[in-house]
Amino acid sequence: MAPTNTSHRQTHNLLLISKLLSLRDTASPLALVLDSLEQPATPLIKEYIRRAKLSKVHITFVAFETLKPLEGVDAFVAARKKSPLEIIKAVNAAYTNGSTSGPSRRRLILIDAINPLLHARRTDAHFNVSSFLSSFLMPQGPAASKVEASLVVTFHQDVPSPPLPSPYTPSPLSMLTYLATTIIRLHSFSHILAQKAARDRSLVPPVFGLEEELDGVLLGRLDKPIGNESAQGVVLELEHRRKSGRGVLEWYILPPASRYPPQYAKEIVTLLDDHPLYRPPQEPDFGAGEEEPESTFELRLTDRQRRDREGVVLPYFDAQQGDGPGEGGRILYDMGEEDDFDEEEDEI
Amino acid sequence: MPTQPPLPPLLAPYVSSLPPSSLIVLSTVLGAQGNWLTLRYLYAALNASSTSDAALILGERHNGKKQKVVLVSFLRGWEFWRAEAKRLGLDLARLTDKRQFAFVDGLSELFSGPRTTPTTTTTTTTQTTPPSLVPSPRGGPVPQRTILPSRSAPGPIPARGPQPARGPAAVAAPAPLTPSAPSAPPASSREIGPVKRLHLSGKGPAALDRLEKDIAAVVAHLSGRATATAEGEDDSEVLLVLDQPDLLLAATGPGQGIGATEMTEWVMGLQQYVHATVMTLAADLPLIHNASAAAHQMPTPLETEHAAFAIGSAHRAHLVMQLRDLDTGAARDVSGVLRVSKGGAWGQSDNTDANGSWEEKEALYFVQRDGGVSVFGRGE
Repeated sequence: MAPTNTSHRQTHNLLLISKLLSLRDTASPLALVLDSLEQPATPLIKEYIRRAKLSKVHITFVAFETLKPLEGVDAFVAARKKSPLEIIKAVNAAYTNGSTSGPSRRRLILIDAINPLLHARRTDAHFNVSSFLSSFLMPQGPAASKVEASLVVTFHQDVPSPPLPSPYTPSPLSMLTYLATTIIRLHSFSHILAQKAARDRSLVPPVFGLEEELDGVLLGRLDKPIGNESAQGVVLELEHRRKSGRGVLEWYILPPASRYPPQYAKEIVTLLDDHPLYRPPQEPDFGAGEEEPESTFELRLTDRQRRDREGVVLPYFDAQQGDGPGEGGRILYDMGEEDDFDEEEDEI
Repeated sequence: MPTQPPLPPLLAPYVSSLPPSSLIVLSTVLGAQGNWLTLRYLYAALNASSTSDAALILGERHNGKKQKVVLVSFLRGWEFWRAEAKRLGLDLARLTDKRQFAFVDGLSELFSGPRTTPTTTTTTTTQTTPPSLVPSPRGGPVPQRTILPSRSAPGPIPARGPQPARGPAAVAAPAPLTPSAPSAPPASSREIGPVKRLHLSGKGPAALDRLEKDIAAVVAHLSGRATATAEGEDDSEVLLVLDQPDLLLAATGPGQGIGATEMTEWVMGLQQYVHATVMTLAADLPLIHNASAAAHQMPTPLETEHAAFAIGSAHRAHLVMQLRDLDTGAARDVSGVLRVSKGGAWGQSDNTDANGSWEEKEALYFVQRDGGVSVFGRGE
């Protein structure tokens, strides 16, 4: 791969993730975060909140499975036992209440898990995910029309979906992936490293947690799977659909929150390919072609030696002279000055 | 083997000083049951507060707060827990008297109430019968489905067993245990302690709401908020232990309007009343994996709902304690494997100092014949 290509990709894609996580320019109105027990979405959600705080975005947290509000959230809407319509009302009310205090034109709506809503018995057959989500983005109220809203929805991939009412209905997940402008799939960095290590040896990559299908195992993640503190972090597999329809696929890594101060304004997410653990720095023999491997023998030829070697007439040339059977094929050698002729060993 | 300490040292950081409004999911399989671990949670909470001074040194992380426990059991009755706790040195009956512990029986009369309208029978029966009477003459047309021992006489210590003092008909009433209860004799028996029996009536989320209200009443009674007693009991922390609430899900199911979401919301509702919650769930292979996409056949509703409930709960949990069989088969000196993992809600609250002692771990455990448990690392 050409180095220019890499750096181009680096700048472009880092700019993209920074734009997406900081909700700049309404790059993505609906981000779908697909998490699992092996890598929960909590670190990413906290990162969203941290960045929104830095840029003074109004944050609404719709809690389907969280009891206590997270730190830094402006409005906390408990969605327990509420119908979709009530949730929409409460969320829209949360902004009109809070908007008087701040001048922020932008708002971020976080949904901690959409699964309970999709799974609930109380949602009737007419419930539609797309209209539910779009009602957050495009509120009907006249006052809220100028607000730029971004929606981040978390979906637990490993929670099984209820059977579909009709065989022709798309599953909620495929519906969501169809609607979303950005899909972020989360992986644990240590698992990615373990799987890469296996693939590099052409082994079957290991699976963790529920995928192990062991009796009694729900979670496989352990703190220090390879005894390595630096293997912490969340790997984001990003799929972003541009307005033109072109998709961008990239893998990033989000370092743990303890690595940087909460007010840190620079970009902390890096490409997965740039991480030293994922792609270790190349061996020196790739970069520097001049150096020969060190050896106790001198393997190179001087110019004179090369000339002498070219001057050697190999035995089969002599054999082609056609002097008759049994003749030819002799080794013709002119003694040089450095040759030490030994009567007993050498014979011509 | 020597007698084990009631709380194995390796286990101690995980069972004591639980962070506020946390959920701990304890997943078990058929071959590795979690009763011993549930009891360790009871012990860690109750023992630290019952013995006064000696435990204060050990349990000073509780900030001097009293720990109280409400045990809601759906698969096992009072007698089982009392006997098992006794082996640990916990006298649950006495603790019930001291209002440090309350047992909520979700097993005996969950589906078979003694009367059709429990509220009216509460008033009538409690007024007509003295509280010291044994429950057997009051069986009536419906046979008593209790696993309680039939005590023939109140005996010298009538206060020890809470059930004989209170008739099942009286306790099964969903009326909350507030002082607004009707008559005087139950008030005296109420001092013995609430052994509440849950009764599921109705359909769907409304039935769950009723159960929630019942349990909330017990919690309120225990924490002293309903009865305004003195001696500053308001600063007590209540630990709620839900033993296998998946029975509810399995017994009702989506056909009756109770699915995984409703169960999760029910647990969430209960969590609001208490300091911390411990919930045991079955995580056997067919219950979890048949519903996954990799399975080849159509999963049953039970499999789907149970998997959604269990996995969703693990997503909501701070800590998931997973018990399972030994991977290499049964052994004489190992009962199973305990894996402690951080759940999906780990790190949501920022008080990391409280969670500092929690790190993920996998250890083996062995339950001895006398009920003692040793927890040890592999190869130790």
